[in-house]
Amino acid sequence: MSKLLSKKSLFLCIAIALALIIAGAFIVGLVGYNADSTQRDATVVEISDFAYSSHDETVQKNLADFCRSEIGSKYTVTDYTLLEGQTGGAVLQFVVKGTPDAAFCAALKSAIVGENMAGVSSELVTVSSHVLENAPYYNYIWRTAVAAAVVAVILFVYVAIRFRLGMGVAVLIAAVHDVLVMLALVAIVRLPAGVSLAGVAVFGLLLSAVVNMFVFGRMRRDFRTEEFKDKAAREAVAQSLSASKGLVLGLSVALIVVAVVLGVIGAVIGTDLTFFMIAALISVLLSAYSSLLLAPSLYAVIKEKSDAARAEKAKYNYSSDKKKDKSAKAVEPAGETL
Amino acid sequence: MGKKKSVVLIILFTIVLVGLLFISVTPTFPVKSPYNFRSLLSIVDLGSDIGGGYSVVYYPEGVISAEQYEGKVAQYEELKGTEDEISDPSVEYAAHGGVYLSQDIMEGEAVSETFLAEFESAYTAVRSRFEGKNFTEYSVKLQDDYTIVVSIPDVSEQESVSTLFNSFSYSGSLLFTDDAGNEMAGTSENIKSAGVVGSGDSGYAIVINFTKAGRAAFSEMTGAMVNSSSSDSSGSSSATMYIRVGDNDLVANGISVTSQLDQDSIYISGSYSTRESAETVACMINSVLDEDAVFTRSLTVGEIYSYGPTMGANAALIAACVIGVAIVAMIVVTLVKYKGMGLAHVYGFLAYALALVLCISLTEGIIVNMAGLVAIVLSAAVMCGFNYYAFRNIRSEFETGKTLTAAIKSGYKKSLALTIDAHIVLFLASLVVYLIALGSAQYMALIFMLGTVLSAACTLAVTRFCFYVFLAQPKNKIAFCNFKREETEDE
Repeated sequence: MSKLLSKKSLFLCIAIALALIIAGAFIVGLVGYNADSTQRDATVVEISDFAYSSHDETVQKNLADFCRSEIGSKYTVTDYTLLEGQTGGAVLQFVVKGTPDAAFCAALKSAIVGENMAGVSSELVTVSSHVLENAPYYNYIWRTAVAAAVVAVILFVYVAIRFRLGMGVAVLIAAVHDVLVMLALVAIVRLPAGVSLAGVAVFGLLLSAVVNMFVFGRMRRDFRTEEFKDKAAREAVAQSLSASKGLVLGLSVALIVVAVVLGVIGAVIGTDLTFFMIAALISVLLSAYSSLLLAPSLYAVIKEKSDAARAEKAKYNYSSDKKKDKSAKAVEPAGETL
Repeated sequence: MGKKKSVVLIILFTIVLVGLLFISVTPTFPVKSPYNFRSLLSIVDLGSDIGGGYSVVYYPEGVISAEQYEGKVAQYEELKGTEDEISDPSVEYAAHGGVYLSQDIMEGEAVSETFLAEFESAYTAVRSRFEGKNFTEYSVKLQDDYTIVVSIPDVSEQESVSTLFNSFSYSGSLLFTDDAGNEMAGTSENIKSAGVVGSGDSGYAIVINFTKAGRAAFSEMTGAMVNSSSSDSSGSSSATMYIRVGDNDLVANGISVTSQLDQDSIYISGSYSTRESAETVACMINSVLDEDAVFTRSLTVGEIYSYGPTMGANAALIAACVIGVAIVAMIVVTLVKYKGMGLAHVYGFLAYALALVLCISLTEGIIVNMAGLVAIVLSAAVMCGFNYYAFRNIRSEFETGKTLTAAIKSGYKKSLALTIDAHIVLFLASLVVYLIALGSAQYMALIFMLGTVLSAACTLAVTRFCFYVFLAQPKNKIAFCNFKREETEDE
């Protein structure tokens, strides 16, 4: 374990994290996040049926299937939403790749009417295509970013006061690392994300706080015991970490299981759920990694330095004694003897 | 603790938990016509990702939908050659994407600059109004360049969706006026802000804060209103004031003014039974304070459509089932690993979970979305984690050779500092996010804050109390806790 906490591995961890964050920031700055279905700019084909096929479920399903196959024969259908009106009408909204024109819409309407489905008539059905462009949510994003920054500062101050200054630094860096790397990874792998990504970022921050508190709480307790007082910094951190490892891993595994199960279900019922759970999963993995590797190795380096400084301070200063002797001799008049 | 007392307490506690479980998760069933029993979980407000929502299209004056255009074409065909013949829609309108633009807003082949500027103002204002409502998730999209599509979560339990969509379409400036023609402009020079406050039994009130100049102007206006009403033929000293945006009344039926009002703020109450309905009016007032954000072109509200959860059909139910299964698995693992201590944990955890459901369903203004569900799972994991941390400490203390009672005392003492520290940090963190962030993150923080408080209470008090109560029952307390004491041969 102490091998993993070496300076080399710490350097590697930080280098990888920095590379990911820079790459992520570059991608976000250049092309932004890959928006999910709720935030994406899209082209849609809308089939508006005032009678919604006279409220016969079979006809409704047939209409949806027919429209999907007709649109699908020319364009790739990526999403489908049923918008139900309060007066009994409905809009079948198909998100497509490409730009269907008025001629396509007219042809689709003719095809629907020509199918002679019960309740579907040319007077009641309208086909149109629209281009949708999403408005950005700067206020939401900035307010959440400011909140996260304040939380990170609170976390640092609290841990520095109640635990140790070095632990505060490690917890702060781990928290910032977890959130930024998660956001960077989501950008790099082009994981579709919406406003809910702000929620995942806050989740990552809180989880990072929890698991790091477990790790450093245990260290705070252990380092007060006689057993740990004589141990080298790296060894002490590694030994204490191995005791708290089980709890952190247990917590992470439980969260991973929930995220994976919901993510798999999402693949069946709605891909946005899967994307959300993948982002949450990245957060869980990152917080487990940072609490078991990054933060302890960082703290080991800080502790090593502070232990060395303390040892230096505690060392008996022979050189100053020698200086004192020399100055005392110099005061004595040369050659004089009593 | 005596065995009898312990049995009574266990039974009482179990009854309370079963009762809470029943009102929390039992499916809806009819009680007495026309009433239905609804569980606490069924009245939790959901975000649009797991509960669906409503969507509407705003059409600016001069832009119509494809349906409206086809209606006009059909009407034109029907009335062609008759006395009531209408103008040819194909001449009057030009297709643009899925919408049709009137020639009134065109300059030759292109859309007029005036229309573009007016529409840009309207788009900015609509975005600002919906942002002000602070939904868990919402979207404002530009459709075919000249219409606005808005999607919001299902808020029909809190306020009328059609009133909300209609109110946010109002164009024009804010004006305080009466029937006698007394007026005061509701600009940023006169009004600082509008907000919502609780108003006791009458629900909620809108508070409008005036600037110094606004206070003087409002005082002058209300004085003039009262004077003109007392001097008219009715002889009444009460006047009706209207708060208007353009030609639309923000407060239905106006506000009764009986005396000159010379104060920094006014409170308008009486017609807002929910916070959300009052918030809509406050948002409207705030959005038109800046004259630059006022638009003049009227917006027509299209048909309101409802849509299903964006994360998939029954996403909330499925997520609840997954969390339920995870809880059952956790209970089984805990009971196997810690036996008696595990039983205490199960009681503590159920108390935590049911109290959280109670708080979320009954606290006004909490909306649960997927981020909120994740916050619930995290908070539950924190609660379990700290209980396990305490149990591990008890076990390690017991292994040092202490008696069971001493080990429990010492184990809990050892875990106390970290448990308190972690809960304080998490509470502060979620409080900060709740106070600063907006939307999804804010609601998530609120849920996590509640979860943290309950987790602290259940970890530090309920589980420990249950453990002591259960410990009074078994003969072999050490085996009950799944501990083993190594026998040593005494000389």
